[in-house]
Amino acid sequence: MPPDPVIETRGIRRVFESRKGFLFTEKTRTEALRGVDLRVDPGEIFGLLGPNGAGKTTLTKILSTLLLPTSGEAHVLGIDVARDPQALRPRIGLVLGGERGLYNRISARENLRYFADLFGLPASLRDRRIQEVLDRVGLTEAADRRVEEYSRGMKQKLHLARGILHRPELLFLDEPTIGLDPKSARETRKLVRSLVSDGVTIFLTTHYMFEAEELCQRLAILSKGKIVARDTVAGLRRLVGGDTTVEAYGFEDSEIDRLRHLPGVGRILTEEFGPRLRLTLRSSGSELTAESVRAALGSAHPDLMVRERRTVLEDVYLDLVEEEAA
Amino acid sequence: MNAPGHPFAVSRFRSTAASVRLSVLQFVADPQWLIPSMIAPVIFGIVAYQLVLGSGPYFLVYAILGAGMMSMWGQTLYGSGWATGQDRVFGTLEPTLQAPTPYVYVVLGRILWNVVSGLVGGAIVYAVVVAESGQLPAVANPVLFVAMFLFVMVTLASVGVILSAFYVYTRFAGFIQNIGEFAFYVGTGCMFPVIFLPWWTNPISLVFPPTWALDALRYGSIPGYQGFAWGFGWDVVGAVATTAVYLVLAGLVFHRVERHVLEVGTLADY
Repeated sequence: MPPDPVIETRGIRRVFESRKGFLFTEKTRTEALRGVDLRVDPGEIFGLLGPNGAGKTTLTKILSTLLLPTSGEAHVLGIDVARDPQALRPRIGLVLGGERGLYNRISARENLRYFADLFGLPASLRDRRIQEVLDRVGLTEAADRRVEEYSRGMKQKLHLARGILHRPELLFLDEPTIGLDPKSARETRKLVRSLVSDGVTIFLTTHYMFEAEELCQRLAILSKGKIVARDTVAGLRRLVGGDTTVEAYGFEDSEIDRLRHLPGVGRILTEEFGPRLRLTLRSSGSELTAESVRAALGSAHPDLMVRERRTVLEDVYLDLVEEEAA
Repeated sequence: MNAPGHPFAVSRFRSTAASVRLSVLQFVADPQWLIPSMIAPVIFGIVAYQLVLGSGPYFLVYAILGAGMMSMWGQTLYGSGWATGQDRVFGTLEPTLQAPTPYVYVVLGRILWNVVSGLVGGAIVYAVVVAESGQLPAVANPVLFVAMFLFVMVTLASVGVILSAFYVYTRFAGFIQNIGEFAFYVGTGCMFPVIFLPWWTNPISLVFPPTWALDALRYGSIPGYQGFAWGFGWDVVGAVATTAVYLVLAGLVFHRVERHVLEVGTLADY
């Protein structure tokens, strides 16, 4: 029996309506999510990738009870988010991050104390727990300084500390490392991994492909409000043609057909690159190599550049998002 | 980890206490609050004293009530709504609403603190008027005066809760509040008795609990005062009834408003 999902959505749609213009007579309608089906299992780090405006934050807010879906169903930890958000809230954590969302004129410790009380942490446990999360995110020394004196990275850590303060079973992280320096970003990723070791399930949205590749067991790619792919990183690589990517530039356009029929080619993408085309070939096996491409094109190409590399998540992401956009 | 389905029990009282504590911390941390809470009452006291100087034996009470109410109105009512508006600006409205505590308990904490600071404002007005006149005001029944003074605060707070709901509902609440501020202030009799206003405004004024309570306060502290014809007793009944309606309404409105903002998705707007 598969474990009960931590998150399960069926056909989630979300439409935003707003009014603008003189006397707000002009009505605009934006469909942010267009039928999202998703399943997240316990103990995994599930990544949601997508370009700006794809609907990542909207979906995160729906799942974390800050927004209601226009239609469709979402169950988180077995609770219907639209019907009983109050029952769900103590069991989940949300880190939206950014410069806002904190009381800047008071200290980090006081911020945490306030939210600890709103989350109902027992008074006997509260201060110990606050110290524990401050230690965990590395803010102990700055804990009694006003938040307005904090750097962006420190604020991000404080957001994280607040998100895990009440020991949620599920933590939503909306772009947790955005704007962080490499060291802080690495520390944050380390913290995320340690939370998973503690049994927390993580729902992560990010723009950073290497971060998703490093952290997530499974991923979904959201584009224009729809999930365009969902799988493990290896599965997504297969989806776009395989583990190996060979890029070629400097050949004649008429020669594309010769490359198309090379053994092992799973997928071919072309794009204009200056006066000529750049070709991206994907393969799952070991038959396609830079050498086989060079051999197929012959030696009469002084500008020919051929590069072989491993397919990375960024390739997958760009392929799928561009395909969807097209 | 918490056992699934058995998270920490959220205590409404602790949430309200946390909200009071946060309000105090923010008050102390932000010097701009000194103006409405400490400096404005001094100015109101001086001006009100000059306005009513020589108008009968109870002119000091008029001065204290006028200036005191003006000061408390700002603190209690305006401050309560404004604090929710600030939550929008800080971006803290979303994490606060995402916590298991119903937001109305957070608002309640802020109102409690605003009542306290409003009373401090009232006390400053009292001290200023007494110092300026060099005499204690003649109050017919000091105990009743204090009791009714506190009661007025409660009625102001009941309106404050509803106003806070507006701030959750829309980011334009501040605009609406600013437009209505003077009308409310005059219409409820903060500065002078409502009975001086055109008769047709009275039914509108009576919709608001402070109108009844302020009239009762004047009846209780100024012998010979001529307010609403029904007198002190019915003023108190009216004030209690309208306040109760407001508080029940606040509970319903907050529940509905919290749901509404999740539907329209405007929590992050500021």
